[in-house]
Amino acid sequence: MSAAPDQTPVLQVHDLQAHFRTRYFGVNREVRAVDGVTFDVRRNEIYGLAGESSSGKTTLVKTIAGLLKPPLEMVGGSARFSFLPEWDAIGRAPPEVVRRIRWRHLSYIMQGSMNVLNPLRRIRHSFRDFAWRHLGGSKAEFDARAAAHLERVKLDPSVLAAYPHELSGGMRQRVTIALATICKPEFVIADEPTTALDVIVQKDVLGMIRSIQQEMGSSVLFITHDMGVQAALTDRLGIMYAGRLVEDGETPEIFERPLHPYTRHLIASLPRIGDVKQREGLDGTPPSLAAPPPGCRFHPRCPLAMPVCATTVPAMVETLPGHRAACHAVNPGAAA
Amino acid sequence: MSALLGLDKVGKTFARGGLFSSRRVEAVKEVSFALRDETPEIFTVIGESGSGKSTLARMILGIHAPSSGSIRLAGQDVATYERRAFMAKVQPIFQNPFEAFNPLKQLDRYLFMTAERFGEATDRKAAEGRADEALKQVGLSLAEIAGRFPHELSGGQLQRVAIARALVARPRLIVADEPVSMVDASLRMSIVNLFGRLRDDLGLSIIYITHDLATAYYISDRLIIMQKGVVVEEGPARAVLSAPSHPYSRQLRDAVLTPDSAGAFRGGYPPKAVPASGAKP
Repeated sequence: MSAAPDQTPVLQVHDLQAHFRTRYFGVNREVRAVDGVTFDVRRNEIYGLAGESSSGKTTLVKTIAGLLKPPLEMVGGSARFSFLPEWDAIGRAPPEVVRRIRWRHLSYIMQGSMNVLNPLRRIRHSFRDFAWRHLGGSKAEFDARAAAHLERVKLDPSVLAAYPHELSGGMRQRVTIALATICKPEFVIADEPTTALDVIVQKDVLGMIRSIQQEMGSSVLFITHDMGVQAALTDRLGIMYAGRLVEDGETPEIFERPLHPYTRHLIASLPRIGDVKQREGLDGTPPSLAAPPPGCRFHPRCPLAMPVCATTVPAMVETLPGHRAACHAVNPGAAA
Repeated sequence: MSALLGLDKVGKTFARGGLFSSRRVEAVKEVSFALRDETPEIFTVIGESGSGKSTLARMILGIHAPSSGSIRLAGQDVATYERRAFMAKVQPIFQNPFEAFNPLKQLDRYLFMTAERFGEATDRKAAEGRADEALKQVGLSLAEIAGRFPHELSGGQLQRVAIARALVARPRLIVADEPVSMVDASLRMSIVNLFGRLRDDLGLSIIYITHDLATAYYISDRLIIMQKGVVVEEGPARAVLSAPSHPYSRQLRDAVLTPDSAGAFRGGYPPKAVPASGAKP
């Protein structure tokens, strides 16, 4: 175990709600993509968010980062950063404040590196576009700094003169990591940064993210559906299902003592080399967020479902020290 | 002892570039293996992007002709088959069911068309019977699917329909190219288990193409590991993955992250060795 992460939260998310709202010809539709999510990300830790496709992971981080575009709206709750204490969410701060914060304090590593790097500009110019205004100094000084920073992700400074298409997928993803970390931000959001990479390259890139995080002492919010990656990389882990957080806690604790039946299934169903035990899928399908089931959203598929699950939303309760779960079977009588 | 499928030193070369700067890319080099008729099995092809595994699948499906070597199905060269007769024996399943189906077309129409073209169904009633039978084999029914469009189903259900569509033709061999990588985690194992049942109950042979070593270990009988178009290791799946002998296979196996890999990257870069997931505790 490394030194315990500093306990003061860098990000405090409280009862966050973000819905997709459309109004066409008098018909209102509301998709509750994020519905009442509460968690903290501490200084100097990697917090993982896991969940299936359409469980609301990406909508959650978009809302946290203030990247809201209609029809997505932040409906309620707060997502407060320690470096922006005056505002309860980035999305509510005025544009000039957001411009000052972005990249200097909060940066992103995206899934597709090709979506970040301009295909018509050399890597050097991408670095200047993103970071020069935050770091200042002369052009030569900045370029030297970019070259030095690239060496941290084991890339040759000659990469600066290359175009994105001249680099391999793994090299490009390392460039985006360098780009996201050159300003030494306190908070980095990484949304499925290794999903498109081959496993051998993935291992490299994950190691890179961890070592840069440790060097800077910053916090990373890391999103992936891959439980193996979550186990290997993150300090704490939150599990999302159908727009809600159903469990969170220290990563090793969650893998050792999963509380929520959904988490238990996710971990138990992972096949492993060297283990021939029969694994089962879960019956049913994830619910539509336009018309989610009442009560606990997992109850139609849950092996432990009780009558109360169909009527009452379970509260997120600290069941074990530092380990929260939202389940009536685990926390009897705790309603939201 | 007859071979259902036999590949003999199959290679595929693509020409890249234009008139003046043509380069040749060898996507697949001298791949040989055979599937036996009497022992249905799940035969896995493991490889990363650029390893040639999808090119190999396309050649087995007769979409590309091999540049060298030969592929024989039930003793006859794939290139000489009449297309309909071939597709009645070999059926594909693709990676992304959302891309495989036209979003504007009802799903049952795919099943009926397959039944009529390759399944010898002569009228609608026979086609419906075949479709219902195939859907029941994957845990669905025609009553659930009839008239539904792809967006009304989840990824897992849609992939089941894609498998049912392949089964409608009553093929001998299914070629599945990354069939579970787009399926939700909670449903993935149901699809993988379904492949096992198709092998055991229907006697189907399945060529399972994947980069996921854990599901390959779980379900397959034999496997080959490909790197840059070349088979670097082959053998019984569990024996190979428990003790890979080629350096590339070992590298692949060691890069697999499992719940047992907790904290593997805490030491920073380069990462300390991830505990080999096959190691005994």
